[in-house]
Amino acid sequence: MTIAESSFRSTGRSRFRRSLSAFMAGLSIAAAIIACVALLSVLVYIVINGIGSISLSTFTEGPVPQGQPGGGLRNGIVGTLILMSIGSVIGLPIGILGGVYQLETNTTFSRTLRFFTDVLNSIPSIVMGLFAYLIVVLPVAAFSPGHAFSAFAGGVALGFLMIPTVMRTTEEILRLVPTTLRDASLALGASRWRTTWSVVLPAARGGIVTGVLLALARIAGETAPLLFTAFGNLDFNVRLDHPIDALPLNIFNYATSPYENLHHLALAGAIILLAIILILSLAARYALRGQTME
Amino acid sequence: MLKRLSLLCAIVIAGCTSGKSNNPDSTAAASAGLTGAGSTFINPIMTHWASEYPKDGGISINYQSVGSGAGINNLIDHTVDFAGSDAPMNADELARAKAPVIHVPAVIGAVCVGYNVNGVSTGLKLSSQVIADIFLGKIQYWNDKAIASANAGVKLPHEKIFTAHRSDGSGTTAIFTDYLSKVSPEWKSKVGQGKTVSWPEGGLGGKGNAGVAEILKQHANSIGYVELAYAAQNNIAYASVQNAAGNFVAPSSESAAAAAEAFPMPDNMTAMITNTSAAQGYPITGFTWLITYKDGPKADAVKKFIAWATTKGQADCKALYYAPIPQSVAAAVAAQLGTSSAAK
Repeated sequence: MTIAESSFRSTGRSRFRRSLSAFMAGLSIAAAIIACVALLSVLVYIVINGIGSISLSTFTEGPVPQGQPGGGLRNGIVGTLILMSIGSVIGLPIGILGGVYQLETNTTFSRTLRFFTDVLNSIPSIVMGLFAYLIVVLPVAAFSPGHAFSAFAGGVALGFLMIPTVMRTTEEILRLVPTTLRDASLALGASRWRTTWSVVLPAARGGIVTGVLLALARIAGETAPLLFTAFGNLDFNVRLDHPIDALPLNIFNYATSPYENLHHLALAGAIILLAIILILSLAARYALRGQTME
Repeated sequence: MLKRLSLLCAIVIAGCTSGKSNNPDSTAAASAGLTGAGSTFINPIMTHWASEYPKDGGISINYQSVGSGAGINNLIDHTVDFAGSDAPMNADELARAKAPVIHVPAVIGAVCVGYNVNGVSTGLKLSSQVIADIFLGKIQYWNDKAIASANAGVKLPHEKIFTAHRSDGSGTTAIFTDYLSKVSPEWKSKVGQGKTVSWPEGGLGGKGNAGVAEILKQHANSIGYVELAYAAQNNIAYASVQNAAGNFVAPSSESAAAAAEAFPMPDNMTAMITNTSAAQGYPITGFTWLITYKDGPKADAVKKFIAWATTKGQADCKALYYAPIPQSVAAAVAAQLGTSSAAK
């Protein structure tokens, strides 16, 4: 656009270029506006319709027998937080360390690994759920019948979903850390791991946290992999070896049901899910204020 | 800078471990709970039982209404303690289960033919032939002569009929198609009976009874089959269906009970009770079974819950539009639960 606008002699050719440039710029702006409008209308629709459905009982009550009025999302809220914690414990160390490895070494092996990470990133979440079902749920069922679905199994599925996202963003962010920083650290006699741990990682912290948040936001709303791992629970549960409820499961089940009170709970659940992601992201920003490098 | 990072790590780790440290407190309460899955047909009363049983001194029950087919698969995989199903396990499923299972009839329910036609309230009269023809695609419009002739005085619109059915493996579908196969030779040869069938008319599939009920609520001129509680609790109109004796009977707790009385219960407890000969019986009626392994580490706990559900739990049937199991069946159930635990 700037080139088109700069003061070339106004020949027919440059006029054509200028109008083409303006046309393409217009298309880009329109696309950006459409994206924002779509996002805003989703948010506004959910909030306007759901805000009236949120009350104290939404947070303090569990599900009621089907067909009865009332009920709350306590089980789902706590369950989602627990599932996200398990996912983080599994996904973050592997993802971040893996990202460091992929950047700091440049061998055929690490390039092969990067290729597989990209493949992993594109695996549909339901396939990851099936994977967790096969490696966690079924073996546990063979060992302890009737006791197979668990918060842990759900956390494994979510953790594996986080790994490629975290790994890839970590690598991309570390790539932005200037080589001079590394060289300086190494020149002062620091070992390779000390350089990575004390110089490179802190410098890239803000970006890594952003990557982690993206990964958390992705798994927070996952429904499919939880259907046959975390399974859902009518009772309040915090045990990792028992089935556990989750907000996305509640939203999925309640929104497709014919019951009015469940429709309200589904909308309330959607708002709470959005709020959890928002609060998480604000908290991380606050913890790292003034030190971001993206 | 590093301090902040380690502080953040510490918070995360503390958060995670505090989640774990809650375990011992809740062990006593939760560890003995039972997990069940399956039939959405029985879900209204099952969720009621799940909230009542612990109040009566029982353990906690977590039941997820994933559909009869999925519930049976879960039982075969040993991922749940019991399954709920409105169709007994077939030979193939029994073979895959490897260990002996017991079918315990828990309630009787009616599958109603629900519809959403502007201006037509509950009680539209449909013969078995008309229902079969609608789902075969032979009757296309609501004001078809075959429907209108039995419903003098009802104003039917000239609108295309939109059918809704189950998309998941469903005991409700098994009952409905079992009925249609009995009353329509054409249905039997073209479509047949099962938890999933290929629908000749196409139509829209919904997941669970809840999914079909939601379709009926949302789509004008639709027709579909759902368990009676789902229609009654959501103000969905439903038809009176002509039974084998020629009477148009509305689905209800009473007409479902009447339908069941006409059938003897075989030793394996797996009677299908559609197309009853009882004069006041509703023809699209079925048992829901709770299915579990005869033996196993938690067999006694499961049987104890089922024994409660088939005795004390029956008191809540009528309010939720189900019929309690007949006295004769209840006695057989008690013997079944008693003998199998004595044999163990």
